[in-house]
Amino acid sequence: MMDDLSLLGFGPDGWAPLLLKGCMLTLAVSATSMAIGTVLGVLLAWARLKGPRWLRRTALVYGVVLRGVPELLVILLLYFGLPSLILSLAETFGWDAPGLPPPFLIGSLSVGLVSAAYQAEIFRGGVGAIAKGQFEAARAMGFSDLQCFHRIVLPQVARIVLPALGNVWQFNLKDSALIAVTGLSELMRTSLVAAGSTRHPFLFFGVAMALYLVLTTLSSTAFHYGGRYSNRWDRG
Amino acid sequence: MSRLPRAGVGFGLAAALSLAATWAGAAWAGEPQRAIVIGTEGAFPPWNITRPDGTLIGFEPDLLQILCQRANLRCQLVAQDWDGMIGALQAHKIDVIADALQITPARKAVLAFSLPYAITTGVFVTQKDSPLARMANRGLVLDLDASPTPERQTEALSALREELRGKTLGVAISSTYDGFLDKYLAGVITIKSYRTMGERDLDLLSGRIDLTLDDTTYLRPLLAAPDARDLVLVGPELIGGELGAGEGFGLRKDDTALAERLNAAIRSAVEDGTVRRLSLKWFKADATPALDARPGATGGGPQP
Amino acid sequence: MGEHLTFIASVTALLVRAVPVTLLILAVSGVCATALATGLTAMSVARSPLPRLIQRTWTFLFRGTPLILQIFMIYYGFAMVPWIRHGILWTAFRDPVFCTCLAMTCCCSAYIAEIFRGALAAVPRGEIEAGRACGMTGFMLLRRVIAPSLVRIALPSYSNEIIMMTKSTSLASTITVLDITGVAQQVIAHSYRTLEVFCAAAALYLLINAGLSALLAALERRLDVDRAVPSISVPPTLEPLS
Repeated sequence: MMDDLSLLGFGPDGWAPLLLKGCMLTLAVSATSMAIGTVLGVLLAWARLKGPRWLRRTALVYGVVLRGVPELLVILLLYFGLPSLILSLAETFGWDAPGLPPPFLIGSLSVGLVSAAYQAEIFRGGVGAIAKGQFEAARAMGFSDLQCFHRIVLPQVARIVLPALGNVWQFNLKDSALIAVTGLSELMRTSLVAAGSTRHPFLFFGVAMALYLVLTTLSSTAFHYGGRYSNRWDRG
Repeated sequence: MSRLPRAGVGFGLAAALSLAATWAGAAWAGEPQRAIVIGTEGAFPPWNITRPDGTLIGFEPDLLQILCQRANLRCQLVAQDWDGMIGALQAHKIDVIADALQITPARKAVLAFSLPYAITTGVFVTQKDSPLARMANRGLVLDLDASPTPERQTEALSALREELRGKTLGVAISSTYDGFLDKYLAGVITIKSYRTMGERDLDLLSGRIDLTLDDTTYLRPLLAAPDARDLVLVGPELIGGELGAGEGFGLRKDDTALAERLNAAIRSAVEDGTVRRLSLKWFKADATPALDARPGATGGGPQP
Repeated sequence: MGEHLTFIASVTALLVRAVPVTLLILAVSGVCATALATGLTAMSVARSPLPRLIQRTWTFLFRGTPLILQIFMIYYGFAMVPWIRHGILWTAFRDPVFCTCLAMTCCCSAYIAEIFRGALAAVPRGEIEAGRACGMTGFMLLRRVIAPSLVRIALPSYSNEIIMMTKSTSLASTITVLDITGVAQQVIAHSYRTLEVFCAAAALYLLINAGLSALLAALERRLDVDRAVPSISVPPTLEPLS
């Protein structure tokens, strides 16, 4: 038992510093992929709602593919495939060999690309939930498209989609564990390395589960209060 | 032999995580200094080990520190899993693979190799209470390059096939032993591939796999660990042939300049006893390769 | 180009042979998770606090941690627990397919139970009161009134969850199972041709998911009350009541 405790401590044989770094990296990867997913998701939702026909189709196919293929495959494909793609592009066009994306970026990007497909659906639903009359009223009052988005769409959609985005965040957090297969030392991979080299898998996977529970609980609490704040004018 | 999953080599990131170590070469070599990134697994003791604080130690980090100085290279060592390492090399994410990579004919099809900086044998390990614990020919060294093949060796290989029939053998994915297993044991055993050695070791301890075949330099220290007391070394030791001509650095085929610099440094480290000193420190045995005695051993140089 | 196509064809043939493994994991864990979720849903509306607490803890634990970690815990972690390793349970825990199915059953049951719980809350009160007024109680009320509504309400979300499960089966490859993803990685380890192999695997998953979606959508249409007017306009017979 003392043995186990020193493995989890901050001493020379303790894994606490690496596990905590892993937590930070997990949060960083999840936040980056969430941001990538939001930007791309808004663009996809716009493409589905207002884009020209070919763009609508492209966005639709994107959603079907990225929501239908296992996240693990997307990560592996990007991790192994992206560098060779970049290199062959560079060769074709005669560029100098460009710097290659680090695993942090590849991991965030692959989780972000999947996240975007889900977020696009949420934004699309959010815009759909706004009464049509409001757009007509805005147009009647001479609002431009941008004004309409800023004054009518954004404040309402932000409130409507917040709980759903909270769900996507939780999925991102858990999907980030799959990036372990690229060797990025986030929480999952750190616990795997620790389990393998100390041969105490029960201990380290247990600790990792507890740490993920802390992360998911803290962030769902944050979203809960965020939701209360954004709805503060609704009450009573 | 083998190493496992790949990790990525995040240049800045790995450094930030202190998974990287950087050594600058002394300016004694005539050539201009060059910065390179070296990929290692950091999970293949005693060749390369990640300390809980993130630093990399082991035979290879020690040796590389000396080689980089002698070759006037500014080396950054980053930890990354084995199964993506060849891809990372070809994608220019790293310039050198230093992960107890054995020089095998199959690998030479995709990689260039430096001269060998160590030579090790392959051994089988099983559980003490397994029927395999009584495998024949324990300690017999089978040189798969021997020609003509001694009769004793032919008999030992066919005995091996019989004893292992129907058993499950675990190896790290893309290990050095793939070629040997394909040639001598295909259809006889079931092979399970693992992303990391750690996962393979856990399944060996739990008995999900009947045995493993790996480098003696990895398995002997493992057997010395208190929680591995149920494991035992069995059967013959293997060397040569598909198992390769020692451990060399993996390089891109077009990077001949780097190969030449590393080769000169390796040769000097072998000749002045540095390799012997480090291998005694980490392996408790001399793993110095014979650079010119065996034609196979020098055949690992970069190919045109 | 021709060599390219030949390679893709031979890889696809290899991957197709792994489809039954993927489908087996999906079928076993799908059925078990649904059954377990039904139990958890019942616990969530139990009168005594203990079952409710168990259901809440279960949901918290399995929805709050990544499935891949649960799989590793069950596969590697449990193998170090003496009474599992040296007991009769080892026969099952030894097998990575069993471990994957067990982890997926636990994890997905938590998600499905939440879907059922939401649907249960959405069953119109009026229908239940009408059932009571007709003299139905207990099990009959559940079977004749609550369950049909619940299934209809839950089906769209349930279909989504099944698609998620199909994708999750790929995690089996991380513990040596040779499912579609496992075989794909094996092929890559020998050929180093990432793009073609993963794209072929992705296409297979898309096909499986398209098939499942079509099946579930057909089921949704069959159960759609508004369209199935004739069958519902027949008043339910009341004989079983007598």
